[in-house]
Amino acid sequence: GDKHARPSRRYHGQKPGSKDLIEETSDIEDLLKKEEDYKEENNYSTETSGAVKWKEDLSRKAAEAFLRQQQAAPNLRKLVYGTVTEDAEDDDRDGQEELGGLFHIRQPDGGCKYKADALDCSRFPVQAPHNWDLEEVMNSIRDCFVTGEWEEDKDAAKILAKDDE
Amino acid sequence: MATQAHSLSYAGCNFLRQRLVLSTLSGRPVKIRKIRARDDNPGLRDFEASFIRLLDKITNGSRIEINQTGTTLYYQPGLLFGGSVEHDCSVLRSIGYYLEGLLCLAPFMKHPLKIVLRGVTNDQVDPSVDVLKATALPLLKQFGIDGESFDLKIVRRGMPPGGGGEVFFSCPVRKVLKPIQLTDPGKIKRIRGMAYSVRVSPQMANRIVDSARSILNKFIPDIYIYTDHMKGVNSGKSPGFGLSLVAETTSGTFLSAELASNPQGQGAAVLPEDLGRNCARLLLEEIHRGGCVDSTNQSLALLLMTLGQQDVSKVLLGPISPYTIEFLRHLKSFFQIMFKIETKPCGEELKGGDKILMTCVGVGFSNLSKTLK
Repeated sequence: GDKHARPSRRYHGQKPGSKDLIEETSDIEDLLKKEEDYKEENNYSTETSGAVKWKEDLSRKAAEAFLRQQQAAPNLRKLVYGTVTEDAEDDDRDGQEELGGLFHIRQPDGGCKYKADALDCSRFPVQAPHNWDLEEVMNSIRDCFVTGEWEEDKDAAKILAKDDE
Repeated sequence: MATQAHSLSYAGCNFLRQRLVLSTLSGRPVKIRKIRARDDNPGLRDFEASFIRLLDKITNGSRIEINQTGTTLYYQPGLLFGGSVEHDCSVLRSIGYYLEGLLCLAPFMKHPLKIVLRGVTNDQVDPSVDVLKATALPLLKQFGIDGESFDLKIVRRGMPPGGGGEVFFSCPVRKVLKPIQLTDPGKIKRIRGMAYSVRVSPQMANRIVDSARSILNKFIPDIYIYTDHMKGVNSGKSPGFGLSLVAETTSGTFLSAELASNPQGQGAAVLPEDLGRNCARLLLEEIHRGGCVDSTNQSLALLLMTLGQQDVSKVLLGPISPYTIEFLRHLKSFFQIMFKIETKPCGEELKGGDKILMTCVGVGFSNLSKTLK
């Protein structure tokens, strides 16, 4: 991930101890702490209570969803800003390759080479279209419509009535 | 003016508009090098030169330097002035290309912008004027940019390659923007559309409507697709047809999709039935992506959040586009703003794919150009 690291290093250099970074780091630490706490809780319940089967499954599912979210979030951040704030320092050390102690190897900025002269367009084309003739694909967006299922805390009739006014 | 500000340097012609727009708003000059440097035909194209001329028209005191081959551009922004302006856009890109830039700048003018843009209103590349009218204007309203003078009107429709369309855009100015909390997209209550045709049989539009409805009716009954057949000088210089669709939710979110026929003399003839069905499917894809902002307007929403008062703004988006990712990097360079980016998995809900929650604190940008009354 060296090529992604470059912009952030610059950021680091310009603004040591910037507010954003500190906030971010503490955010991530908080999340990690929560994650640890969660696991412990999970073990506790399965060992002692001998709870009903579906409950066990539920907590496992929740834990998996949580982990998935944890993994996805830093990746997205890395994709956008070049690096996750945590491992920025590690990247500082490597990536400084030298040839004969004189020339630095120039690394292309995060994949910029192929897109630097590409079409400047805000449209976001669909990469892998779904087959909207399939019932299950159609069902995947059913609840985006007023005709679909409503969350319990929302009274469909009330919202729609208010809308007509 | 921040003339002493250190300039930012970029390479290549991609993302030219965002760089120039953010430069104008932040007051930081930009230098863009290697513009199609390795191309057989190097340097800026006509449509980009036209965008730069447009920026020059709406600002006061901008300095623009371009080298002889057109491969290097230096832009030192002036003050956003606004007022009544006319501009002939290049027909190589549609008016949407220019309008996207103007939507970012118009709220911060000294005098409210009233602009006539001439060129291509609908093509296959950029968001059309119809879609921007239906999605970007309601988005600006969420930030408190509203009023009687807020208008975007298609006076004449023009298709590529000839163009000949005309659009009128007027936008009120605001001193500060409201922070937003767009985290609940609501549920789609209706779908509206515009099937247009110029210099072809008006029957084309009707055929588009029927085929699009056949797909969308499986989801919701409240669908109305207007047909628009402009005639004579109002129909531009080239024949063509197309469709734009917008899904509106209970919380005022607008998701859009559009398709246009191939420009005259390019590619095979498109059947209106195929165009209608494919456009309806594209709308379903956009609904699957979801979020509170249409995928083409992601960067506009993130910009206005950045420029908002020093308060927290949140917006739920679908997957973020490559254009938006670059825009976020630029926001960091020009305004030192980094967003908190959280993935919200779709889970068991039947609401399409994973969503992304974007959070930031505005920089408290205030429009110093605006005249005080």
